[in-house]
Amino acid sequence: MTLIAYQVRMAWKSLRRNPGHTAIVAGGIALGVAVSTVFATVRHSYAKDPIPEKSDDLYYVRLDSWGPQEPYPGGGPPTQVTYQDLRNLMRSDIPVRQSGMFKSFLYIFPDPKMARPQKEIVRMCFADFFPMFQVPFRYGGPWDRKADEKAEQVVVLGKEMNDRLFGGENSVGRTLRIENREFKVVGVLDEWRPSIKFYDLTQNYVQAPEQIYIPFNLLVAMQPPVAGNDDGWKNQEVPGFAGKLVSESVWIQFWVELPTAEHVARYKAFVDAYTLEQKKLGRFQRPLNNRVQSVTEWMAEVRVVPKQTTAMLAVSLLFLLICALNLIGLLLGKFLARAPEIGVRRAMGARRLDVFVQHIVECEMVALAGGAIGLALSLGGLWAVNLWTKSITQRTDFFQIDWKMAAFAALAALAAGLVAGVYPALRVCRIPPATHLRMQ
Amino acid sequence: MLRMTNIKKVYRTDLVETHALADLSIHVKPGEFVAVMGPSGSGKTTFLNVAGLLDTFDAGEYLLDGVNVHQLGDGEMSRIRNQKIGFVFQSFNLIPELDVFDNVDVPLRYRRLPAGERKERIQRALEQVGLGSRMRHLPSQLSGGQQQRVAIARVLAGDPKLILADEPTGNLDSLMTHEILDLLERINEEGTTIIMVTHSAECASHAHRQIHLRDGKVAEVDEPPSLVRGREPLAPGLQ
Repeated sequence: MTLIAYQVRMAWKSLRRNPGHTAIVAGGIALGVAVSTVFATVRHSYAKDPIPEKSDDLYYVRLDSWGPQEPYPGGGPPTQVTYQDLRNLMRSDIPVRQSGMFKSFLYIFPDPKMARPQKEIVRMCFADFFPMFQVPFRYGGPWDRKADEKAEQVVVLGKEMNDRLFGGENSVGRTLRIENREFKVVGVLDEWRPSIKFYDLTQNYVQAPEQIYIPFNLLVAMQPPVAGNDDGWKNQEVPGFAGKLVSESVWIQFWVELPTAEHVARYKAFVDAYTLEQKKLGRFQRPLNNRVQSVTEWMAEVRVVPKQTTAMLAVSLLFLLICALNLIGLLLGKFLARAPEIGVRRAMGARRLDVFVQHIVECEMVALAGGAIGLALSLGGLWAVNLWTKSITQRTDFFQIDWKMAAFAALAALAAGLVAGVYPALRVCRIPPATHLRMQ
Repeated sequence: MLRMTNIKKVYRTDLVETHALADLSIHVKPGEFVAVMGPSGSGKTTFLNVAGLLDTFDAGEYLLDGVNVHQLGDGEMSRIRNQKIGFVFQSFNLIPELDVFDNVDVPLRYRRLPAGERKERIQRALEQVGLGSRMRHLPSQLSGGQQQRVAIARVLAGDPKLILADEPTGNLDSLMTHEILDLLERINEEGTTIIMVTHSAECASHAHRQIHLRDGKVAEVDEPPSLVRGREPLAPGLQ
């Protein structure tokens, strides 16, 4: 350990001795690290677990209720469930929480002094939605299950909506007219922006969560339009909204919370048993093909991570490699120019390994400095990427460096330092000491 | 201390083979002060490099302090260089970026001695060469003679059994030359074996024995009787 500390001190002296050379090497690594960190962060922003504390407990449920003629596109079960299947599945008491949900467009009529009437996206869901997905509240809280049962006219507002409609005040207890009904505000959300809108991956999942939430069970009374995907394989047999509820159209996302593996196994068996029962009634004419998937499994199946981001990351890593390879000659020249010192150290008892480690330590120190600069540069790069993609993500902080990406930058820098430094360090440590001394 | 028997060292290029050492046999006893002389190209430096384990040899046997060094690996050779051998070079070979203290510290670092012991050894060695007050000076702030004394302090701090000096006064004026030779003599009187390569007959006269090399072999051995101090007779064939 003492020798390593000594080698770090010697490396520091060496780096200070040739500031221009050090700057070029650090700059080369910084460039490679900056580019690769930007693209690694872009990919990571899609791929990271949006709800790490609970992603293993939350399961997305899909049933293959598709028609017998041809499979659902992609071969898996449809991405959503029918209303009748949601109703039947929600009778199970295996999940500790569960919520069907869908997105609708509804007119809201706020206080004319605050805002004009407008059409807004509204998520219709169950009370469990909020605790299941750890939705944070600023004021009040979610409605309760009784409100679900009674289809009460209660509403939870997002922070932005509350700012717009109520000037950011605690609006709990106030009313908001939605369509032709008065809704009582029971809760206002705090800032809530999961990296991916994981609870609804059927549409643009980098967009912000909705700003208005009302009980799902109001759908019978309100007959709201469906703003999300609405797929079907069979014509609706009964006309109107009532017909939609008994049709084979899939338009509802369904999540359950299963806290243990035993819950998961029991629930999967329940879903399969339900399907087999439905087959007896003439439905589910395709082979058994149900999915009960965790958040990350579902994200993987949807391919949340765009292929291009992986390709760009690979290219950027190649760029980092090229940067590092270009530094080999520069470092070799520097190390060979130090032959007399190496010769003296070898004569004084330094082993080849000591000489090798001393040079690698120097490479890694300059690489870490380059990594730090690269990390700083990547912040600028991500700022530009965020601006460029704002129309898609509706935010300027979607691509953000977290500790994992900072660690990536450090590791990338260290790897680049090794790539650049191993050959020169090996070369100088393998030269016989007498040769070094002759090179004075 | 050092026994070389029929040592061969050949430098090869695509076109020529240069026999730098050709059946060289030298025996140096503990406590001796030997001068190795010879014209340029006679193999003096190669002998010193091989003797100091700075270079390998092609054939022959080399026993250093009773250890056959021919088959030793890099780690073991480095350990011997670090613990048993001290080098004094013509051009001092101090590391320019390190101050006097840190230069003397170099061999002790590779011996992995604790900080306290290193500091004590460095201070003692620098006092011995009269540079105790110059510990934080850089080599560039010292005269040639002072730099060579730092190099000798670096050797003394390591307390080696054998000092290999390659033209240690080659870059010094006559006053400094005497100073350095006196210092080496004092070190030798305390029991350290010294082998000094030199061109200078005057420098060589400080040694107990002068070995003349020519074409990589011992050509002649001079032993001024007045300088011999109760040594054993030379090995057969080396006289």
